[in-house]
Amino acid sequence: MPGLPFVNWYNESSSMPHLNPVAAGKGNLTDPKQRVTEAEAIERAKQGDEAAFEILYNLHKRRVYSLCLRMVSNPTQAEDLAQEAFLQLFRKIGTFRGESAFSTWLHRMTVNVVLMQLRKKGLPVVSLEETLETEDETPRKEFGADDAKLSGSIERMHLKRAIDKLPPGYKTVFVLHDVEGFEHNEIADIVGCSIGNSKSQLHKARLKLRDYLKSMRAEKAKTG
Amino acid sequence: MTCSDVRRVLPGIVDGEAGADFQAHLKDCPACSELVGDLRLIASEAGKLAEADEPPARVWVGIANQLRAEGIIRESNADPARPVLVPAPARRWKAWWLAPVAAAILAAGSYQLAHYKQSAPAPQEARQTATQPPAPTQQAVESKVESAIESKKDAAQMAGKASSPVNPTARVAENHNPPVRAMAKKSEPAEDEDTVAATGQNLQAETSLPPSAPASADDEQFLSEVSQRAPGMRLTFENQLRAVNAEIRETQEYIKRHPGDVDARQHLMEAYQQKAMLYQLALDRVQ
Amino acid sequence: MESIPRSKAMTAVLAACLVSVAVAETKKEYRYSVGANPVVSVETQYGGISVKPGDDNEVWVVATRQSDKTEVDDQQIGDRIEIVSHLFEGADQQSGRIDYEVRVPSNATLSLRSSTGPLSVERLHGDLSVEGTDAAVDIRDVSNGHVHVNTMRGPVTLTNIRNGHVEIASITGNIAMKSVTGPLVKANSGAGKISYDGDFGTGGEYKFTTHSGNIVAIVPAGTSADFSAHSMLGKVQHDFPLQPRHSRETFQPGSAFFGTVGKADSAVVLRSFSGRIRLKQH
Repeated sequence: MPGLPFVNWYNESSSMPHLNPVAAGKGNLTDPKQRVTEAEAIERAKQGDEAAFEILYNLHKRRVYSLCLRMVSNPTQAEDLAQEAFLQLFRKIGTFRGESAFSTWLHRMTVNVVLMQLRKKGLPVVSLEETLETEDETPRKEFGADDAKLSGSIERMHLKRAIDKLPPGYKTVFVLHDVEGFEHNEIADIVGCSIGNSKSQLHKARLKLRDYLKSMRAEKAKTG
Repeated sequence: MTCSDVRRVLPGIVDGEAGADFQAHLKDCPACSELVGDLRLIASEAGKLAEADEPPARVWVGIANQLRAEGIIRESNADPARPVLVPAPARRWKAWWLAPVAAAILAAGSYQLAHYKQSAPAPQEARQTATQPPAPTQQAVESKVESAIESKKDAAQMAGKASSPVNPTARVAENHNPPVRAMAKKSEPAEDEDTVAATGQNLQAETSLPPSAPASADDEQFLSEVSQRAPGMRLTFENQLRAVNAEIRETQEYIKRHPGDVDARQHLMEAYQQKAMLYQLALDRVQ
Repeated sequence: MESIPRSKAMTAVLAACLVSVAVAETKKEYRYSVGANPVVSVETQYGGISVKPGDDNEVWVVATRQSDKTEVDDQQIGDRIEIVSHLFEGADQQSGRIDYEVRVPSNATLSLRSSTGPLSVERLHGDLSVEGTDAAVDIRDVSNGHVHVNTMRGPVTLTNIRNGHVEIASITGNIAMKSVTGPLVKANSGAGKISYDGDFGTGGEYKFTTHSGNIVAIVPAGTSADFSAHSMLGKVQHDFPLQPRHSRETFQPGSAFFGTVGKADSAVVLRSFSGRIRLKQH
């Protein structure tokens, strides 16, 4: 850019930091040295403190939005779902007693919101308690898959498309574990299944994704 | 150790939970080795997807608006032990500096638009072109910004002087800030706004105009003023300021990637106008 | 001395409470004689202002104070009436609240300002300037005047505004317009939604812009307008057929549409940076 230095009309420190500084007891956002814990933010939010709600939102917004986006693959819908998940959570925040981790509670709500949306659209939502397949776990071979190796690299767009193709049950567990980084015991808590079931669903999801990715690579090789 | 054995405990191998027994088989079996490698790759690549996902600002705004509407977010009442307001004569004039700052924001916004101009303006919709008055000269813009900066200095000196009876229908900013007046008054606002926009679109990129004071200092001063005069409003204004600054930043980044985009520059101008309006609202409300 | 029977004591306490409440909320009436084109300005930090048409040649105001930590400062200079709430030290949002009920001649020029609101105006024909921080603004059945509204996050609702020169701006408040027509109608919100329900009249210019808020326009059959819609990052769609119109610029598919309906009497420009834009038919 030619000419004079770029004049920044925004204040970096006020641009949606991950953790807003809040002076304990006073709601004063000016002191960067005093920060609140998530537990303190939750208590303040119960009192209707807007800054506290925003802290909680900023702490979890990426994971919640990412989860929604991976599940519905439509940014607009994902925004609406993320908004709805946070709203449902914040409406009930007065009832949160700390029995489970706050993030678990939030993500459980998010998964419910997403699955409800998928049900509304008439998509089959498989119960996560079911063990779906009795056949062995050898992945099905799709045409040309033998010739297309993943060879140590995956195109991001292909991976997104492949995730989108997964059935909702597999997709939920895969997104929570591999994309969002939840452990199986947390996933079991969030979606209401057993740890064994979570591991099994994850494995099947990965195998299916491998099939899809190999097909995509084979198609690409064919069309050049 | 056979391939079937490996497949039976495959999840454990992929996630690093299985023992070293299987390593020997993987060394000798390309198919199993490739399978394990692929599954690990899928898991690790998936983890990177979340990094880029960030919801736009309007998601939070929608949440906050709804929570407010439902009464879940409650405005904090001012501490009764601490005075919220000061007696009438002094209350308006201490914030005089806000008005020229608002003017400087708008004027510097025009200046910034000039920096984004990489080529001749793209052809505009016929109606929009027809309504725009001739662009002022570069000198006119320079003098506008400089006078705004001078006004700010004057206002700082004037702070604290007693005022004449308040005339609510005349904005304090009127004497200093024609562009902000355009936001609030009915007198030819459309022309003023178009003039400001046209200014940005028609200046040459090369200019020796000095930048005005950094906005971050102004934002801090603005919030500090609000804190002193109406501490109960501080949070509200801070949140709004954050939202507006995010809009400005977002649009600037877009223009960096699409410097010839006329619509984007118009959006940037509107974002600056929003910021100026916020300052103006504070000026009118902070007592 | 005999002790007062318990029931009588309770009654006395209750009566004292009622009296003190009655004393805390006080109403005061103001009347001003005015000429043909009065200019009325009402400003309150906390409290609502409601304005309706009244008698010609008179401005009538009732101010309701919640405590003695406030006073109403009024003055009349010719046909100009100014009413301002003053708060004393120690006043807060509750105790500092003053609500105003106002009756003005229907062609009065009006200026209203409140932080908390609500602000409402109905059935007037003069120019209006309304400003609220969080105040909800409701303007209905107004015609022939300039209507200017600025809010920070207060929602703005306009209903049945005819032949108006309308300019609405809000930073995060929603703007809802129903049957709003005139030579110029401009609405801008940063993050709030803009919704329009109406036919865009005949021969007017309409411009709705947001940064991230969504824009929805719902129009009836028989609308006659030239539509131009573009969102830089959001999706744009229209749910009924338009006569395509050429645009000199090219846009990403799904981010813009240009077309006409009927005789294209009015010009409608819908712009958003990242919000969605949707044009629907009733």
